[in-house]
Amino acid sequence: MVLQELGGKISAALRKMSDATLVDKSVVDACLKDICAALLHADVNVKLVGELRKNIRSAIDQDDVAAGNNKRRTIERSVFKELTSMLDPGKKPFVPEKGTSSVVMFVGLQGAGKTTTVAKYALHYKRKGFKVAMVCADTYRAGAYDQLKQNATKIKVPYYGNYTETDPAKIAAEGVDTFKAQKIDLIIVDTSGRHKQESALLEEMQQVNEAVTPDLSIFVMDSSIGQTAHDQAKAFQECVDVGAVILTKLDGHARGGGALSAVAATESPVAFIGTGEHVDEFENFEAEAFVSRLLGMGDVKGLMGK
Amino acid sequence: LSSMLRGVVGTESLEEDDLSPVLQELKSRLMAKNVASEIAEKLCDSVSSGLLGKRQSSFTRVASTVKTAMHDALVRILTPRRTTDILREVQASKEKGQPYSIVFIGVNGVGKSTNLAKVAYWLLQHDMKVMIAACDTFRAGAVEQLRTHCRRLEATSGQQVSLFERGYEKDPAAVAFEAMRQAKKEKCDVLLIDTAGRMQDNKPLMEALSKLIDLNKPDLALFVGEALVGNDAVDQLKKFNAWLTDLSTAPTPRLVDGIVLTKFDTVDEKVGAALSMVYESRAPIMFVGCGQTYSDLRKLNVKHIVSSLLR
Ligand SMILES: Nc1nc2c(ncn2[C@@H]2O[C@H](COP(=O)(O)OP(=O)(O)OP(=O)(O)O)[C@@H](O)[C@H]2O)c(=O)[nH]1
Ligand SMILES: Nc1nc2c(ncn2[C@@H]2O[C@H](COP(=O)(O)OP(=O)(O)OP(=O)(O)O)[C@@H](O)[C@H]2O)c(=O)[nH]1
Ligand SMILES: [Mg+2]
Ligand SMILES: [Mg+2]
Repeated sequence: MVLQELGGKISAALRKMSDATLVDKSVVDACLKDICAALLHADVNVKLVGELRKNIRSAIDQDDVAAGNNKRRTIERSVFKELTSMLDPGKKPFVPEKGTSSVVMFVGLQGAGKTTTVAKYALHYKRKGFKVAMVCADTYRAGAYDQLKQNATKIKVPYYGNYTETDPAKIAAEGVDTFKAQKIDLIIVDTSGRHKQESALLEEMQQVNEAVTPDLSIFVMDSSIGQTAHDQAKAFQECVDVGAVILTKLDGHARGGGALSAVAATESPVAFIGTGEHVDEFENFEAEAFVSRLLGMGDVKGLMGK
Repeated sequence: LSSMLRGVVGTESLEEDDLSPVLQELKSRLMAKNVASEIAEKLCDSVSSGLLGKRQSSFTRVASTVKTAMHDALVRILTPRRTTDILREVQASKEKGQPYSIVFIGVNGVGKSTNLAKVAYWLLQHDMKVMIAACDTFRAGAVEQLRTHCRRLEATSGQQVSLFERGYEKDPAAVAFEAMRQAKKEKCDVLLIDTAGRMQDNKPLMEALSKLIDLNKPDLALFVGEALVGNDAVDQLKKFNAWLTDLSTAPTPRLVDGIVLTKFDTVDEKVGAALSMVYESRAPIMFVGCGQTYSDLRKLNVKHIVSSLLR
């Protein structure tokens, strides 16, 4: 699963250090080198890795007087802190409530998994007793409306779309109005895939955004993405107010670090992860518990308290 | 003093200490351009061992010697050893009265179906009669997606483009088999086979793919990979080839013949995935997808990629 390999490598690097009889500069350097290599192999942004290295370095330097064993704790703690802060921007995502007709818009790059995840998200809240509906505001991709329709039918939720209308903002507004009138609790709007290099596509996203004024915009990101993650995520964030991230395809082999960099770029928390093509392959996500499990550290509170 | 001079005028043979800082910098640059870290590492190692002990001419900086060596290595790797002239192969197949078949494979959402449609458009421009087989019988909307493409392709080209489909939940290998027969009956020149996306670790799905390929022996297997992908690029190609080798019952298993590199328009200068894919598979990049419309299909420009990587 996600980042497990990374966790293993980082733990191994830390363990190697604790086996050393004398923790001198060369031991610390070797440990940092291993950790950074593991992060780069997991697609964490090259610049972020540089910063992380610097932050850990300065944490160690401040602790200069500490004895060998404490130095190891310092490194362990600052690795943990850096990773957690990368994944946890310190704010909670908007959570829809019954009776409010919340509108949630899904955005992201082409093929990231938006349409599939819309259905997963819908089912998640349907199972909590919400009245849920899906709106297809993708007028671009061939077969997009059929895809959403078939997914909605499978999980038995109402849907809205239009085969002939070409203006996504118009469809989105109509769909949202229709479902608001029906007192639906949660209205989910699917949009076309787009990317930062094409400004017309970003403008279109803004138009949909203005038409439906969502309570939450979710940025959906493929966990296999590499070094472009940061740039793309930032462009989406600058264009619409991204409030949460969903990482998809974590059932694959991808190490997910590119997506991790995207969280840093959007300063939005990962709300859920997708772990398969089926509608129920969807999980909640908690950064701190995740990182501690990742590094095999067990008691997080104890570690942070010191 | 001598160590200060060494960087400027190379009078001695190149040593590890001379090369290492330059290569470290270069490796970092390649990774920032989205080259998989393992590939960047291997490349730097091979450039290093090629240069160690070599005498370099005076007034050449170590940095530029290394950069030149890296440049040459990149060009060598990316230049296809064997280019497949698809049109010529189609023509040859046509003369034998046999439709030429191309299967598109890869992980989820990379652009298989869209780029299949672009290849169809390109073939139509060369007056080929094209049929499309809907062998993604799993993903919602997959069949309708292809039907829409067929209709649009017919409208833009004025030629007939038929879709062979058997709906959802059918065995894709059997659908492809029937499509092959139908294509021959209709005297199509080319059959383009779309498949469902699958993760490279998903054994049941890889078995289904291997079955499709074993049973139907397509003339060309194109691996579709997106330029956005990071380190996973290496793993994807490694495992697709490994499964296709291990699971095949044919005497000579069909591996990835070529690569379609998609979403090239979304990565700016970070073009490293191209290198990772070719380095790992030794298969040439046959097409580059650089947008969402039919005409957004190009040939690889090796010079452009190499200069982006080294910039
Ligand atoms: N294995 C796996 N596949 C996934 C997951 N989420 C989505 N997919 C697959 O990824 C592919 C693309 O998903 P879509 O939902 O069509 O992506 P999209 O972002 O809506 O695509 P566009 O609308 O074209 O931009 C499909 O094959 C999905 O089945 C996941 O968590 N795991
Ligand atoms: N920007 C850009 N988008 C592309 C390119 N090629 C495909 N896409 C988009 O990527 C998304 C996914 O494309 P598909 O062709 O459905 O991908 P797929 O691999 O068939 O997906 P699955 O069958 O679900 O695995 C669509 O929104 C396409 O328009 C490209 O070269 N550039
Ligand atoms: Mg979609
Ligand atoms: Mg497809």
